[in-house]
Amino acid sequence: MTTSLLLIAAVGVPFALLLACIVPAIRERMPPLLALAPIPALAAALFADDTPLVLGNAQYALSFVLDEPGRMLLLVAAILWSAAGAYAATGLRGATHAGGFVVCWLMTLTGCIGVFLAADLVGFYFLLAVLSVGASGLVLQGGTAEALRASAVYLGLALIAEAFLLAGLVLLALATPDGSLLIRDAAAAIPTSPWRDLTLVLLIVGLGMKAGLVPLHFWMPLAYGVAPIPAAAVMSGAVVKASALALIRFLPLDVALPDFGLPLAAIGLFGAFYGVVIGITQSRPKIVLAYSSVSQMGFLVAVIGMGLAAGDAGAARVASFYAAHHLLVKGALFLAAGVVATTGGRQLWLMLLPAAILALGIGGLPLTGGALAKLAVKPVLEDGLVELLAALSAIGTTLLMLHFLRCLAASASPDSAAAAPWGTALPWMLMFVAALVVPWMLYSATGIGTWSDALQPGILWAASWPLLIGAGLALGLWRWGRYLPRAPEGDIVVVSQPAMRVVVRWGDALEGVEGVLRRWPVAGLSLLMLILILGGAMFFDGH
Amino acid sequence: MPHSLSTPDVTTPGGLLLVLAVLVPFVGVLAGMVLGGRGARRVALATLAAGLAIAIAIADTLVRSGAAVVYLLGGWTPPLGVALRADGLAVIMLLAVAVVIGGIGVYARADFGTPPGVREARAPFVFWTLLLAVWGSLNLVFVSGDLFTLYVALELLTFAGVPLVSLGGQPETLRSALRYLLYALFGSVLYLLGAVLLYGAYGTLDIGLLAARVHPEPVTWAAAALMTVGLLAKTALFPLHLWLPPAHAGAPAAASAVLSGLVIKGSWFLAVRLWLDVFVGVVTLPSAQTLAALGAAAILVGNIVALRQARLKLLIAYSTVAQIGYLFLMFPLAAGLAAAQLDDAAAVNGGLLQAISHATAKAAMFMAAGLVYTTLGHDRIADLRGVARALPMTLVAFALGGASLIGLPPSGGFLAKWLLVSAAITTAQWWWALVMLVGGLLTSAYVFIVVVRALAPAPEGWTPKASVPCYQQVAVLALALCSFLLGLAVLCPVDVAGIGRAVVPGIGSP
Amino acid sequence: MNTPTLFGLCAVALVGVGLYGLIVNPQPLRKILAFNLIGSGVFLLFGAIARRGAAVGMGGDPVPQALLITGIVVAFSATALAVALVLRLFDEAGSVTLAPDAPAEPPDA
Repeated sequence: MTTSLLLIAAVGVPFALLLACIVPAIRERMPPLLALAPIPALAAALFADDTPLVLGNAQYALSFVLDEPGRMLLLVAAILWSAAGAYAATGLRGATHAGGFVVCWLMTLTGCIGVFLAADLVGFYFLLAVLSVGASGLVLQGGTAEALRASAVYLGLALIAEAFLLAGLVLLALATPDGSLLIRDAAAAIPTSPWRDLTLVLLIVGLGMKAGLVPLHFWMPLAYGVAPIPAAAVMSGAVVKASALALIRFLPLDVALPDFGLPLAAIGLFGAFYGVVIGITQSRPKIVLAYSSVSQMGFLVAVIGMGLAAGDAGAARVASFYAAHHLLVKGALFLAAGVVATTGGRQLWLMLLPAAILALGIGGLPLTGGALAKLAVKPVLEDGLVELLAALSAIGTTLLMLHFLRCLAASASPDSAAAAPWGTALPWMLMFVAALVVPWMLYSATGIGTWSDALQPGILWAASWPLLIGAGLALGLWRWGRYLPRAPEGDIVVVSQPAMRVVVRWGDALEGVEGVLRRWPVAGLSLLMLILILGGAMFFDGH
Repeated sequence: MPHSLSTPDVTTPGGLLLVLAVLVPFVGVLAGMVLGGRGARRVALATLAAGLAIAIAIADTLVRSGAAVVYLLGGWTPPLGVALRADGLAVIMLLAVAVVIGGIGVYARADFGTPPGVREARAPFVFWTLLLAVWGSLNLVFVSGDLFTLYVALELLTFAGVPLVSLGGQPETLRSALRYLLYALFGSVLYLLGAVLLYGAYGTLDIGLLAARVHPEPVTWAAAALMTVGLLAKTALFPLHLWLPPAHAGAPAAASAVLSGLVIKGSWFLAVRLWLDVFVGVVTLPSAQTLAALGAAAILVGNIVALRQARLKLLIAYSTVAQIGYLFLMFPLAAGLAAAQLDDAAAVNGGLLQAISHATAKAAMFMAAGLVYTTLGHDRIADLRGVARALPMTLVAFALGGASLIGLPPSGGFLAKWLLVSAAITTAQWWWALVMLVGGLLTSAYVFIVVVRALAPAPEGWTPKASVPCYQQVAVLALALCSFLLGLAVLCPVDVAGIGRAVVPGIGSP
Repeated sequence: MNTPTLFGLCAVALVGVGLYGLIVNPQPLRKILAFNLIGSGVFLLFGAIARRGAAVGMGGDPVPQALLITGIVVAFSATALAVALVLRLFDEAGSVTLAPDAPAEPPDA
C-alpha cells in the first residue's frame, strides 16, 4: 500500500505540477517548486519495496515497479534533479518568460522518473517519448539558432531511435507468451523468440542511439553545448541513463549471447576512446564534458555488452552502479561549469578543487566513487584484451578530465570580485557531497562489495597508475596540444552537411514528379491504369 | 469462408435510431433552408446536439445487444427492400463523426455568423446547411446496406462537399471545386458501372446477399476493380489526389476540417466495407498489396511534399494525402491475417483507429491553422512568430494533433500503429511496418518545424490582427485531445468494432 | 446477336468515347458532357441487363429500371452543379479552364 502511494507520488507529483502549468499564474510561480518536485521520487527510492503498482484493467494495465537497477538510478537521479532544479530556479528568478522552460523541465522530469519505474512495454515507450520531447524542448531553451538546430537534431535522432524501438517492442510483445506486456516477461522470452536476432538488433540500435553510441553520438555535444546549464546537467546525468537502464532491463543478461554481446562491447569501447580523442581537441568545458559523456556511456555499454556475452546476470547490478556514479558526477560537473563561469579571483579554488576531485574520480581516483565504479565492473570485464582496454580507457579518461579542468579554469570569470550566487553554488556543493558519499553507500548497500575490500592497498595502487600515466599524457597535451587538428563540435553531423544538399535535390525531383501526376490527363490515365492493375492482380492470382 | 453477414429478416430493437441518424440531419437541412439566415445556424447547432445523442444511443444499443442494429425500410426484406444496418465499424464511425462535426460546429459558430444588420448572408447560410448535408450523407454511407443506396449517399456527400470548397468564391477556389467535382464524378461513374455489373451477374445489390453470392470470376473482378478505383478517386489516394491539396487548402478552415477530416473517410469506409465484407473471397493478396503499395507511396510522397510547403494550410493538406496512405495499409494485413485463418481484428481496428484519430487530429489542425490565419493575417510557415504568445492553447492543440499523426503514445495514432505493425509482423509483411515508421519520422519533421516557428518570440510592438474567441480555441483543443487520448481506447473492455462483423469461427481474439 | 448484346455494345462504345473526352478534353464544359456520355453508357448497360434478366412474361426486370431513374436524377443534379460552378467561374475569372498550371496556392486574401 505504502509502496503504491510512493510510486504514484513519484510520477504523479511532477505530472500534476506539469498539468498545473496550464494556468499562467501558477506557471510563473513554479520555479521554486522545481527543486521539490523530485522529492517524492527520492522517498520512493528510499522507502518503497519491490511490489508492482498496476493501474488499469485486465485488457491493459500500466505497471510500475522498483527493481534494483531502477532503485539505484532513481535515488541518484532524484538528488540530481533536485539540485539542478534549485540551480535552475536561481537562474529563472526575474526572468519574464520562464513558462517554456518550466514546462519542458517538468515534462522531462516526469518522463525520466517514469522511465526509471516503468515495468511494461507501452508505458515505457510512452514515458520515453515524453522524456525525448521534453528534453528537446529543454535544448531549445538555449534560444539561439544553434539551439534550434541542436534541438532538431536531438528530437530527430530520438524519434528515429524510437521508431527502431517501437518495431523492437512490437516484436517483443508478439513473442511474449500469454500476451503479457511486462518488460520482465518480454526480456525473458527473447532467447526463444522466433525473431530473436531482429529484436535484439532493433533494441540495441534504438537504445544505443539514445545512449550516444558512436557513430550516433553527435547529438550529445550539440545538445549539451547549447542547453542551459541545469538542463545540460540533468540531460547528461539522468536523461541519458534512461537508455542504459532500458538496455539493462531489456537484454536477457542471464543468457550468454556472445554474438550480440561482443559486438556491443566493441562498439562501446570504441566510443570510449573516440570520445577522448575528439574531446581533447575541444576547448569549451561543456563540450569537453559532452565528449566525456560519449566516452563514459560507451564504456557503460561495453560493460553491458560483456555481461550479455558472458550471460552474467550480475552485470545488471554493476552496470547500474557505474551508471549511478556517472549520473552524479556528470551532473555535478555541469553545474560546476556554470558556477565557475560566474566566479573569479579568490573564491575560484573553492569551486575548482571539488570539481578536480570529481573529475579525476571518473578516471578512477582512489577513495572516490569513480574508483568504486571501476572496481565494481572489473569482474565483468575479466578478459585479457578487454581488461587492457578498460585500463587504457581509464588513462584516456584521466587525460580528458585534466583537459576539462584546464578549460574549466580558463573559463572562470575575469572579474576577480565575481562570486557565484548562493542559489547556484549551494546546489553544486550539494552535488559534490552526494557524488562523494552516495556511491560508497550504494556500494555496500547493494552488496557489490565491502568497504574494507575496496580499501586494500593493492586495489588502491591498481586504480592509481592509470591516473599517473594520464597525468603525464596531459602534460604532453598542454605542451604540444596546439598541433592537434581541431574537430568541429558535433563532428559527424557537421561533416555530413553536403549530404543534405543531395537530399534537397531529391526532394525537388520528387516534388516535380508529384506536380506532373496532378495534371488532369495524367491523373485520368492513372485512374484507368489502376483499374487494369487491380483487375489484373485479381485475375492472374485468381486463376 | 463461412459468413454471418446475411441480414436477418427483422428490424432489431433500436433499429429506428438508424433512420433518425440519417433523417435528422436532412430535416435540419430543410428547416435551415426554410428559416434561412440566423435560423440556419440555430437549427444546425441544435441538430448537432440531437445527432450526437442519437449516435450515443445507437452505440449503447449495439453494445448492449452485442449484435448489429438493423432496420428494414418499410418492412421489405432485401433484395426487394432496402436494409439499414449498423455493425461495430459503422457505429464507431457514426460516433466519431458526430463528435468531430460537433467540434467543428462549435468552432464555426464564430466564423459563420450572420453579421448584424443583414437578414441573410450567403456563406453562413450555405455552410450550415451543407454541414448538415455532409453529416447526413456520411451517416447514410455508414449504415446503408445496399450498393445503390451507397452510390446515392456518396454522390450526396460529394455534392455537399464541393460547394464547401468554394465558399470563399474566389476564382482559385472555384477552379479547385470544379476539379474536385469532375474527378469525383469520374470516380462515382466507375463505381456505378461496377455496381451495375454486379447486379447483372448476381441479381442483387444488397451487401449481405452479395457477400453470400459472389464468387471469383472475371465479371466480379472487373466490378471489384472498377468500384474500388472509383472509391480511390473520391478518397484521393495517391496518385489520384490531384484535386485534394488545392481544394482542402483553399476552403475556409472549418470547411477544410470537414473535408479533410470526414468527407474522404466516407469513400474509404465503403472501400473497407467492400473488401472486408463483400469481396472477401474474390480479392486476392496481390491486389490488396497493390492498394497498400499506393498507400505507401502516398505516405512517402505526401509527407515529403508536405515538408516543402511554404503555407501552413497546404502543408496540412499534403499531410492528409500522406495520412490517407496509412488508411490503405490495413488491406493486405487484414487479407494476410484472414489467409492465415487468424482474427483480422488487429488490422481492422488499426485501420479504423487510424481513420478516427486522423479525423479528429486533422480537423483540429485545420481549425488551428484557421485561428493562426485570423490572428496573423497570413499562414506563411516561415513567419509564424508570435503564435505561441497569442494562441497558446491552439499551438498546444496543433502539437497534440501532430503527435497523434506521428504516432506518439498515448494517441490513437500510436495504438493504430502498434496494431498495424503487429499485424504486419504476424503476417510477415514487415515492409509495411517499415513504411509506417518512416512515415512517422517524416511527419514529426514538419510538425516540429511548425511548432518551433510558432514558438519564436514576436517582434517588438507586435499585436495580433484580430483576436479569436476563447471557445474556438477550446473546441480545437478538445478535438486534439480526443485524438491524443484515443489510445486509451485500449482500456475498452469489448471489441466494439468486431460486433456484428463476419467472424471466422473457432478462432477467438487473443 | 440479340438485342441486349447490341445495346450492351453500344453502352461500351458510349463509355469509351466518354472516357476519352473526360481525360483528354481540357475544357470543363466538354468534360461535363463527356461525363454525361459515360453516364448514359452505364444506364444503357443497366437497361440491357434489366432486359436480359427479365423473368418470363415480363418486359424487363423492374428493379434496375427503378434504380435507373434515380441514377438519371443523380447525374442530372451533378451536371447542374457542375454547370453552375462553370458559370460562376466564368463570372469571376472571365474564362473557364482547369489549366494544369492553375495556381495551387490558397488565396491570400
